[in-house]
Amino acid sequence: MKLLHNSGTPIYKQIAEQLKEDILSGKIKEGEYLPSIRGLAQDLRISVITTMKAYEELANEGLVTAAQGKGFYVNSQDTELLKEQHIRKVEENLTLAIKASKVAGLTDEELIDTLKMLIDIEKE
Amino acid sequence: MEFKDAITGKNINKKFGKFELDIPEIHIPEGFATAFIGENGAGKTTLLNILAGLRQDNKGEVRYFENSLSIDDNGVRERIGYSGTKHHLLPHWTGEQVKDLSKMLFDNFDEKKFEEICKAINIDDSVFGPNGKMIAKLSDGNKMKLSLATVFARSTDMLILDEPASPLDPLMRDLLSDMLRSYLADGNGQRTVVFSTHNISDMENVTDYIYVIDDGKILEHGFVTDIKEKYVLVKGDGKADKKIKDLMINFHENSFGYEGIVLSDKMDSFAGMNLSFETPGLFQISVALLKMNSKLRMPEM
Repeated sequence: MKLLHNSGTPIYKQIAEQLKEDILSGKIKEGEYLPSIRGLAQDLRISVITTMKAYEELANEGLVTAAQGKGFYVNSQDTELLKEQHIRKVEENLTLAIKASKVAGLTDEELIDTLKMLIDIEKE
Repeated sequence: MEFKDAITGKNINKKFGKFELDIPEIHIPEGFATAFIGENGAGKTTLLNILAGLRQDNKGEVRYFENSLSIDDNGVRERIGYSGTKHHLLPHWTGEQVKDLSKMLFDNFDEKKFEEICKAINIDDSVFGPNGKMIAKLSDGNKMKLSLATVFARSTDMLILDEPASPLDPLMRDLLSDMLRSYLADGNGQRTVVFSTHNISDMENVTDYIYVIDDGKILEHGFVTDIKEKYVLVKGDGKADKKIKDLMINFHENSFGYEGIVLSDKMDSFAGMNLSFETPGLFQISVALLKMNSKLRMPEM
């Protein structure tokens, strides 16, 4: 896991995002336990409360469930559903972008070019 | 967030002349690292000594662990490791005597582990062996390392460390953070660390909960994640008007602009102003809080 300490994005958000990717891509499988809160803090060399907050964020999104005294496991079944939810979110946001581009007077090509450019910037 | 108390303190009070330590209530969360932050003379050491059971001439009540035990109950001291800045290791002792004493005082002192730790953290070994030197001859850094080795060589449920990082060099501070995280991880939620520091930036990555202490009182406390959301660092260009200034807990101005820490729930008051907002670090928050009360000022230069 790669953490940026001065990126402006809180560390717990970065951890939650990366674990979310791993869960949605199936790298961490349904029913599998996430590393222990304190074990992950030790590995990532950050405070316990930071990893705990990341896990709580994942739990709030319904990706994982806290099992009393045993840690957090990845929820079963709903991974497909979640993926769909995320796709819907992408569609919603792109629709907003399309509407905004009309207001700004962009052509379809210009809008697609802008998207491509932003994808490239994200990759860097 | 809910937590169990590793230590619960109530109505703790101790007076020395003009100084008064007055702590109506304190809760140290089990399974986490709690830092006491404050100026010199704020009362951090006195409070830690009371919590560690080293000082018992105070008013109030302190309870430990799951069954609200007293410090003098059977086995409680055995479960706590303490390291301080004052000479709790006497200066004329040799390293060998420190080891023998730890062995004698604590059943859970592991001599082999102690020797391993001493090697791993590179403690000046001239104090060991039959002709070992007095520990008074050691540097402050080595004294602290020796003290930490005696604490980490025991199997405990709680560490109370007074300014452990201050005399250490940057590499050793980094290593201490690793050792503390590993201590907490091995405890799987049942081990607790309490330490004091005036160098919170060095220890931020191993701090879960903070108490900001000033002039014998608790100014602020909470989980670091919550505290960081409670305050915002505001920056602006040019001159700040009075309205902005009044909202800021601390305020810095130069010829280019200004900045200050503000309570997040006051953010609405800044709507429509050309300002930038950042999540402050623990150092910035604690300095802001301490500055409100501090008698320190910039001398004429």
